[in-house]
Parts: sequence; structure tokens; C-alpha cells
Amino acid sequence: MDDRNVLYKTWSVCPVCMKRVAAERVQVGAEVFLRKTCKEHGTYQTVIWRGLIDMREWIGDADKTALGNPQCPDGCGLCHDHLQKTCCVLLNVTNCCNLSCRFCLAGNRNGSDDPTIHEIRESLSKFIEKGKTLVQLSGGEPTMRDDLPEIIKAAKEAGAKYVQLNSNGIRLGDDKEYMRALSEAGLSFVFMQFDGTEDSIYENLRDRPLLEKKRKAIENCSAYNIGVTLVPTIVRDVNMYNIGEILRFAISGMPDIRGVHFQPVAYIGRIPENPKDNERITLDELICEIARQTDGIIKTDDLLPSACDHPLCGFHGDFLVDQNKLVPLLKRGKSERKCCCGSSAAEKNREFVARRWLRPPVHPIGEGSRCGDVRDMEVFLNRIKFYGFTVTAMAFQDAGNVDFSRLRNCSLHVYDKGRFVPFCAYYLSGWSP
Amino acid sequence: MSKIRKLICYQCQRELELKKTDFTYLGHSFFTEVPRCPECGQVFISEELVKNRISEVEMQLEDK
Repeated sequence: MDDRNVLYKTWSVCPVCMKRVAAERVQVGAEVFLRKTCKEHGTYQTVIWRGLIDMREWIGDADKTALGNPQCPDGCGLCHDHLQKTCCVLLNVTNCCNLSCRFCLAGNRNGSDDPTIHEIRESLSKFIEKGKTLVQLSGGEPTMRDDLPEIIKAAKEAGAKYVQLNSNGIRLGDDKEYMRALSEAGLSFVFMQFDGTEDSIYENLRDRPLLEKKRKAIENCSAYNIGVTLVPTIVRDVNMYNIGEILRFAISGMPDIRGVHFQPVAYIGRIPENPKDNERITLDELICEIARQTDGIIKTDDLLPSACDHPLCGFHGDFLVDQNKLVPLLKRGKSERKCCCGSSAAEKNREFVARRWLRPPVHPIGEGSRCGDVRDMEVFLNRIKFYGFTVTAMAFQDAGNVDFSRLRNCSLHVYDKGRFVPFCAYYLSGWSP
Repeated sequence: MSKIRKLICYQCQRELELKKTDFTYLGHSFFTEVPRCPECGQVFISEELVKNRISEVEMQLEDK
């Protein structure tokens, strides 16, 4: 430990008692750890970066002073010390689910206290800014509710610009009439749990084979012009090897599939056991795996740190599919880094989302062919609507790696009982000793 | 472009001709046909082109 180097002092929690404790980002060799000590439960150290990409360059100037509100995060709603505005609002519409997954961030909740449609309407009317808000309907599994179309309609009537559904896709595949009702109610796009291209992956993580259900869900979404972004939870020993195949599956499924949103597994809610460092997947490791498993079709510098949240919380890449190759539209170090949460920039971000995640209406002459020279402006503008493709990631925080500097930069907020709470503060849960 | 009938280069007094022209933005290159003077090579970029195709290309290329 002689070569230990403290990079940044921040705050975290004791993973057992969840009390606020001082923490440090400490470099040991190439790797960086979050290290903290609880007087009662001892010292915890969690790997947060493998050193495959320069972490200081990646973070840039995103870290502000980490102390902030001494009530953080227990005192959330957002306080005057929070650094980001709300980009997306997540509303839980149920705690019920039709799966029982090994990892589930909402796994410690049950369905007994689901909000009524009246309560949901009331919430929507309180937080929606007409013509602006992007609402994520989440759970549990939102499609457990028969009145989900009514909820979507209520969100649109309250003025939501976009309504996103976070779903495992089972009912979307099984029930085409339900899918039709969601679409007619005004659903914008679906974030669909999609852990891999092999059933063994689903059997491991979700306790049953689901690949065919996922295919059917994508087909039904396409039938009603609803874009699907695939959301794999990546677990090292389960599906990390499948990252390249997931991306190839997504690209071949365009324009029905709009992108892939990776979520390295976080240890919140229901988990099989407390994590070991060698099980964790850091963002730099995920980026390098994406590059390796796509044989360089996606390069590491095609993926840029999140500007809307803390850079350690995610990345995004924007591509054009050109005859099964990907043309990167952004380059790390060359594309200007902007926060999307300012007043005019928030609008920009929402339009970015609309451009990429909405499934465009069926083209009268056949869906913007994959052929033609994309340097021709006309060809490019026609193609990008159908074959613009995003590769994004969000690394949720858990009791091991939660870092208040990251929390204070969060723009994904859960709306609950009149409060906006940063996503990872809302779901944070303690570990067994 | 349909509104433009005939454009004369002020400097050379030659009629502009539609030519494939390259544009570069944020490291990406595109081409489209715009009126160009066959003598001095100056091009005319119409307001219509700027407000429609060019601004849309820019928007598609900019980071969120």
C-alpha cells in the first residue's frame, strides 16, 4: 500500500449501518478505490476504476466540494446543495413484478402499497412541466397494471413531452392488444430489460428463458411504431462475454431497436451476496469490453463521459449505422463537453432523446435504406432518422461505492410523495455485515 | 433552391452553376450541390439551405 495516492476526498455511507462517513478515492497501482471507515463496522474499500482509461481526464472538473448538505442523502428531496436540475423524472407505478430476479434494485419492496390511478394523476400534475418533462414509468414491472394505458394517457394529458416505459417486455410480447393500447395512449419509447442473446443468461439472472419473449416484444413495439432501447444488466460471470453480441443484435434490429443502454450490476435491493471487488465492472472496464468485443467497430474514444450526471455515473456514444458499420458522431476530446441541464440545454437533451429513441414513422419509400453515400447531406439526414444508434451506460451506486459528489450531480430523479430524490439515493440499501 | 432562377457572381459576372461542394463540421465532411462561380469558385449558400439541411445536419452532429 506504499504507492497509495489519495485523489479526492468525498463522503459515502457505511454499507452496514448506512451512516454517513468520510471517504477517499484512493489510487493503488493502476486501480482506484473508494475507501471509508465506520467507527462501528470497520473499513470498506471498493474498486471504482481499473485504470484502463485516465480517470482524471474522464472526470475533468465535474467534482465540486463534496461536503454539501450534512443531511445528505437522508434529507433528500433536492436541496440547495444539489448541483443538477432534473432531466428525467422516474415514477414508480407498482412494486409488483412477474419475475423474481437474482439482482433487483427494487427487490426489497412489495406490491401492497401501489398508488391508485387517482394518486398517480395527482403526482403527474404536480411534477410535469407542460411540453417539457420526460416521465419514466417504472416499478416493479409497470405492465403488471392493467390501467397502464390510462396512466400514460394521464401523463400526456398533464403535458409530458415524452413517456418512457421501463419494462422487462414479457407482457409487451404476450399481449399485442395491450401493446396497442399503450401506443394509442401516447407511449413514446420503451427501455426494455435485455440481458443477452442466449437463454442461459436469462435462466441465470431471471430464472427462466426469455429470449423469445424479448424478440416478440420488439416485434410488437415495432408494429405500433414504438422504439425500443435494449437495457442489459451486465454481470461479470453471466453475460459480460455477450456484450458484443448484444450490440450486433441491436444493430441488426434497427430501426425497431434504437440503442443499447448498459447497466453494470449494482448491489442494491435484492442481491445474492455482498460483492467482491473482482466481481465489479467499472465504467472504464465496460468501455474497453465494448471496444474489444466489437472488434474496434466501437472505439473507446467514441464513448464520452456523462455531462448530465457525474462522469463516473455513465457514458454515451452516438452513431450512424452505415451498411452494418458504425460511424461515430462524437469523439472524446473533440466533441465539446456540455451539461444538458441548463434551461436551454435541457431542451436540447430532450430533443437528442427524441431524435434517437423515438421510432420514426414508417418511411413512404422504405425506411431510409442502409445504402448510399452518407457524406451526401440528403442521404445522411434521411439515414440518421432511422439508423441513428446510441450506446449509453449508467452505473448505479450501491452501499459500497456511493459517493456524494456523484449523488449531488445526479439528474435522474425519482418523484415520491412530493419530493424529487436522486435515483441512487432513493434506492440505496444496506448490506448484511 | 426552386426560388433561385439565375445567380451572377458579382466579381466575375459569370452565372453560377450547381456543383457538388464539401462542407465540414465537427470533424465530419458532407457534400451537397450549391451554386458556384465557374471562374473564382465562390459559392452561394441560400438561407433556405442554411435553415433547413445545414442546421439539421449540425444538430444531428452535436453532443447532447
